[in-house]
Amino acid sequence: MNPPILKRWWQKLTRTRVGRSIFRVGLPGSNLERSQAMTSSFLLHIQPAKVHKHSLKAGYSLGLGLISLYLLFILIGTGVLLMFYYVPSTERAYNVMKDLQFVVSAGLLVRNMHRWAAHMMVLFVMLHLCRVFYTGAYKRPREFNWVIGVGLFLMTVGLSFTGYLLPWDQLAFWAITVGTNIAGYAPIIGPKIKFLLLGGNVVGQEALTRFYALHVIVLPTCTLLMVSIHLWRVRKDGGLSRPDEPSEAVEQIPLGQLPTNKSYGLMELARGTTPQVGKNPEDEVFSWPNLVFREILLFLLVTAVVLFLAIFWNAPLEQYANPIHPPNPAKAPWYFLGLQELVSYSAFWGGVVVPGLLVTALLVLPYIDRKRVGVGRWFARERVVANSIFTVCLLAAIVLTIIGTLFRGPNWGWVEPWQQPPAVVEGH
Amino acid sequence: MNHSSPNEPDDVSRRGFLQLTLGWLAGTFAIAASAAGAIRFMVPNVLFEPSQVFKAGRPDDFPDGSVTFLEDERVFLVRQGNTYRCLSAICTHLGCTVNRAGSGYHCPCHGSVFDEQGSVKGGPAPRALTWFQVTLSKDNRLLVDKGRTVAADKYLVLPTSA
Repeated sequence: MNPPILKRWWQKLTRTRVGRSIFRVGLPGSNLERSQAMTSSFLLHIQPAKVHKHSLKAGYSLGLGLISLYLLFILIGTGVLLMFYYVPSTERAYNVMKDLQFVVSAGLLVRNMHRWAAHMMVLFVMLHLCRVFYTGAYKRPREFNWVIGVGLFLMTVGLSFTGYLLPWDQLAFWAITVGTNIAGYAPIIGPKIKFLLLGGNVVGQEALTRFYALHVIVLPTCTLLMVSIHLWRVRKDGGLSRPDEPSEAVEQIPLGQLPTNKSYGLMELARGTTPQVGKNPEDEVFSWPNLVFREILLFLLVTAVVLFLAIFWNAPLEQYANPIHPPNPAKAPWYFLGLQELVSYSAFWGGVVVPGLLVTALLVLPYIDRKRVGVGRWFARERVVANSIFTVCLLAAIVLTIIGTLFRGPNWGWVEPWQQPPAVVEGH
Repeated sequence: MNHSSPNEPDDVSRRGFLQLTLGWLAGTFAIAASAAGAIRFMVPNVLFEPSQVFKAGRPDDFPDGSVTFLEDERVFLVRQGNTYRCLSAICTHLGCTVNRAGSGYHCPCHGSVFDEQGSVKGGPAPRALTWFQVTLSKDNRLLVDKGRTVAADKYLVLPTSA
């Protein structure tokens, strides 16, 4: 039987002189070439030539980290496109939004994709954090990678926060007013941070300029750097976390008595956690095609979902920013509504203390919960205490978010979503 | 360069000690100075913001017993008899504009409630609304200074004939 037509074309292309010079290995036919395909390509060499079977199990990782990464790619792509039109000016920014909607070819689609991918990224980074917790994947040697991951979560939230000032609509203006005022409640340095963020005392042109710089260059650069370190460490720690293998397979190899049938790099001998040390080769499969094709498939799926959302639902745009009248109720996006609900009890406790303690708890978690048990399994019984505490916090956050989203009406008063909200009476 | 003898690996020579100390000091200073300079660069020296002092109008523009919302300044001008006061409309919680509700004020963002004196009656607001100083300018206009706060019982009292 002849190979499919695309494969034949590809083979023909890689056999030409030019094709050979670019791709070198061509379509791998042997195991040697499968390794070479990974190591000889700049884009693929970031990944190992062989990957543990456990890392490929969709039911273990759910692909949440990869999905977050792909959403970041989509956000960078659409974000750069938006930059070709956007002007960070309080007078022009809102008009650019209208131009994107009504004048620019595919402008609405690009803005919608950027908005929905941003929402999805916040969601999937949160889910990824939950997955890593429930599988105990933050334990030795991955403690510091968890810390970087928490940093990436904060970066994601910071990117979305700085992003929504940019349209200069009502949501933008009042979300930034409320957000920077929360920062102002931080002890001692709070008012100074607020002044620095806004570049003054009021939300105006200076604030827009600063948030623009943060959104398009400072935070994305930091995020990409941290993502690189995050992925590098996953690779150096031997792929995704997995249950410890039976100890009989682990055989300490004394230095200088290396078996001759396998070549070891210095790096791989430096520590005992790398993929090559003391492990059955049968547990590994070639990254080409097992890993690469799964990744491509997942990327297509994520892109399709974002496109679907962007085609059928428009990104909201409220009225032009009005510093006199906040909308009533003035609501942040869903991922900040739990925080807004907390803040409606006390700005200091809800806006500074509780989030500060939660982030601190996440950062120090791997150094407190040090026992290496239940790694690599969902909801391991040995981790019932840690899992319970985490679940309680998670449920509290979900309940607060639901209350803030559905049960709060004008003046942040209690409403029941199945009832008509009371008419707002405003008088001066 | 390492001048310590092989028998005493922890021994540091005078030259080595000076090199280490000065090197680390210089490095630390360079980084700290750059960081301090960058942060100072971020602090604007000139603010192009509206003046804190504004003229609200003639005293007679405000009827007796009225509470007038001045949109552009986000303040309420309160007249009772021949006394004048000016109340900030910026909620002390997180900076939204409060609305007049009954004789008091309501914040739409997180539900803070203030009475007519600006005192907190409910919700998350930590402090009462701010009262600003009101004076009379030479051309007989009410002059409000949002940079100067006064107690709730401070009034500008004008002669009734004004």
